[in-house]
Amino acid sequence: MAWPPDPAGLPHQRRGTVPGGRGRYPDYDVLANRDHWDAETREVVMARVEDVPPIRFFDAEEERTVRAFCDCVMAQDREPRIPVLNFIDEKLYDGKLDGFQHADMPDDREVWHTVARALAEHRFAELSTDEQHDLTQQFADGKLELPFNPSTAWSVVMRYVLQAFYSHPWSWNEIGFSGPAYPRGFTRLSTGIREEWESKEEWQQDPVRDVQERGLE
Amino acid sequence: MSLRGNFWMGSKRPPDNDSAFLLDVHKRAVNTSRMRHYSDDEEVDMLIVGCGAGGGTLAQRLARRGWSVVVLEKGPFWDPDRDWVSDEAGSHKLYWTDKRIIGGSDPVELGKNNSGHGVGGSMVHYAGYTPRFHPSDFATKTIDGVGADWPITYWDLKRHYELLERELPVAGQDWPWGDPHTYPHGPHPLSSGAGKAWQGAMDCGIAMRVGPVGIVNGTFGNRPHCIYRGFCLQACKVNAKASPLVTHVPDAIEHGAEIRADSMATRIELDDAGRVRGVSYIRDGVERFQRCAALAVAGYSIETPRLLLNSGIPNPADQIGRYVMVQGAPQTGARFPEQMHIWKGPPPEVCSEQFYETDESRGFARGFSIQTVGPLPIEWAQHVLAEGHWGRAMREYMRDYAHWTLLGVLCELLPHPENRVTLADVTDQFGLPVARFDYTKTQNDERNIQYAKDTVKKIWDHAGAQDQLTIDRYAHLVGGCRMGTDPDESVCDSDHRVWGVPNLFIADGSVMPTQGSANPALTIMALTSRLAERLDRKQIANAARRGAPVASR
Repeated sequence: MAWPPDPAGLPHQRRGTVPGGRGRYPDYDVLANRDHWDAETREVVMARVEDVPPIRFFDAEEERTVRAFCDCVMAQDREPRIPVLNFIDEKLYDGKLDGFQHADMPDDREVWHTVARALAEHRFAELSTDEQHDLTQQFADGKLELPFNPSTAWSVVMRYVLQAFYSHPWSWNEIGFSGPAYPRGFTRLSTGIREEWESKEEWQQDPVRDVQERGLE
Repeated sequence: MSLRGNFWMGSKRPPDNDSAFLLDVHKRAVNTSRMRHYSDDEEVDMLIVGCGAGGGTLAQRLARRGWSVVVLEKGPFWDPDRDWVSDEAGSHKLYWTDKRIIGGSDPVELGKNNSGHGVGGSMVHYAGYTPRFHPSDFATKTIDGVGADWPITYWDLKRHYELLERELPVAGQDWPWGDPHTYPHGPHPLSSGAGKAWQGAMDCGIAMRVGPVGIVNGTFGNRPHCIYRGFCLQACKVNAKASPLVTHVPDAIEHGAEIRADSMATRIELDDAGRVRGVSYIRDGVERFQRCAALAVAGYSIETPRLLLNSGIPNPADQIGRYVMVQGAPQTGARFPEQMHIWKGPPPEVCSEQFYETDESRGFARGFSIQTVGPLPIEWAQHVLAEGHWGRAMREYMRDYAHWTLLGVLCELLPHPENRVTLADVTDQFGLPVARFDYTKTQNDERNIQYAKDTVKKIWDHAGAQDQLTIDRYAHLVGGCRMGTDPDESVCDSDHRVWGVPNLFIADGSVMPTQGSANPALTIMALTSRLAERLDRKQIANAARRGAPVASR
């Protein structure tokens, strides 16, 4: 299957950073608001930009495979990229797991090692974009061969991927999210009214129709 | 307009709880500098395990009545200024994330979804909804032929509901469902999504009301007004949202209670006569033993049964850990042409309890409630993933985040003995077997959830949504040590006392025999408020050492 491009004509980002460099909010930089955040929150958020953790949980071969996988599942096919893998690695290395383990699954850390091995057996990092996509779709459909339930494994690894990607302020620029709002708070709660510091959308396309037309489903 | 409505409106000071006045206006932390400390050797009147909705409320109630109280809390004593952040991933430390095993045909995810950790418990990161249960919740077996009857009724709790609504305080419109009542604070203003939901519901004949939320909406001691920043589920840095940390712990400390944080209870010790003599716990890596005259376990539906099972508490009818319940809580997002900015304002805004009770024409017993919810980016990405999207489709749906708003439902799923907590063959960092929680839905449950989802879809259709996304999920936990009248079918009696152990009480949501479609926090608090009153009035025979028992009901 040909891999369809992003919606044509998405503006290039003019301020701030979005993964891939184009988005709906070309003049929005959530980090421009950081002086309005409380110091504790600012430290946590800025560390994701300024202090990317090293790889300590995955070995070099796993790192190569899993980095390619993370790029594929988040469609990060060009710079700038959110270093998703580094944040996943940190969470696993620190053992900050999420408080539940399915009875038919090993510990999340073992799930990650096993998924990395399975993808490496398919030489995931060397595959073409289309081949990576097909293999990932198999995984998403619960058809990747694993010693445990592949559908549960997919939900486990994607939980880590999504948390890493959507906790990063560059992704907030992409989706127009206002980010931390303490101690300032919000004053304009009504539909269609934004604070002057909130994101302004310069793109109108219903993604439902768009995703269907581009055959992404 | 009723006189009663006017009487309750406005900012009335709660009669027997000064917590809001004991906080500092310009600091969020509770002042612990004058907190009393008890030695492990001192036999305290009431030892409590867990400082959440149940334990925090019980500590305040008993300390105020002169009882010596120690609360062992596994997590930290939070300082909201220092410890909490306006950030989803950065709030990981708020949740109970030690290992637990989940099984059954419909495994329920734990952790951030339903499990607290630290002083304040899971109310630190609940949305803020504080509805009462309906009178029918206490007799579903009699009324509907399903579930169980409680050994108490709504009317046993009503006075405590009213007190607690003033203590939190609860803001909302006059409430028409269940036992109609009013709230001490008026309703908060609506954000975009709630407005859309309201409009869609009105259009198809479904009534909604604003609230009820435990979020300050006016003057209330030294707790500030809400600033509508939207991070309620990441703990309220403002101190506007109610949790025991700000609603009951300050007053408990003022009246001599000790909140002993970072203390993991590992074992309840019984004496030769079968009474509790104290609790072993670990603090700073050292095992200690706190003596007590009576013990209340308030660790919630997973950890309370686990502690009882790990301690070998007599369990002749094999009831400990059974009948754990969760609510079916699918959420449906709706897309609109205009931007909704769902992150603005508290996620809990408007509710309907129109479908709460049984309507035989719907084809199942009991019902559900409808409430606004407000997932932040990570949570919303999980919704998009659940629809099968990843890669570019994920990114494209997420770029559209600002156009979506959501309604959730809480479906009353029925209690079942096999939905239970047992001990797994895995141990935690303390060497103790962890809990395993198995969960499987019944056909009535499936029908309820499907009907509720169809109802929400209808609301969004009427509101003019262009597209909808639904994710299946669960919310809340109750049951596991249910109260009853028969030791063969329950763990404790109507006074929360474990059958066969005269000075052991369960003071949390695990005592609930059914769950209704209401968020459980307020009812957990009301139950423990009632328990404290009965303990202090010596209405529970032979329970504690304080004086001779007066009456046994």
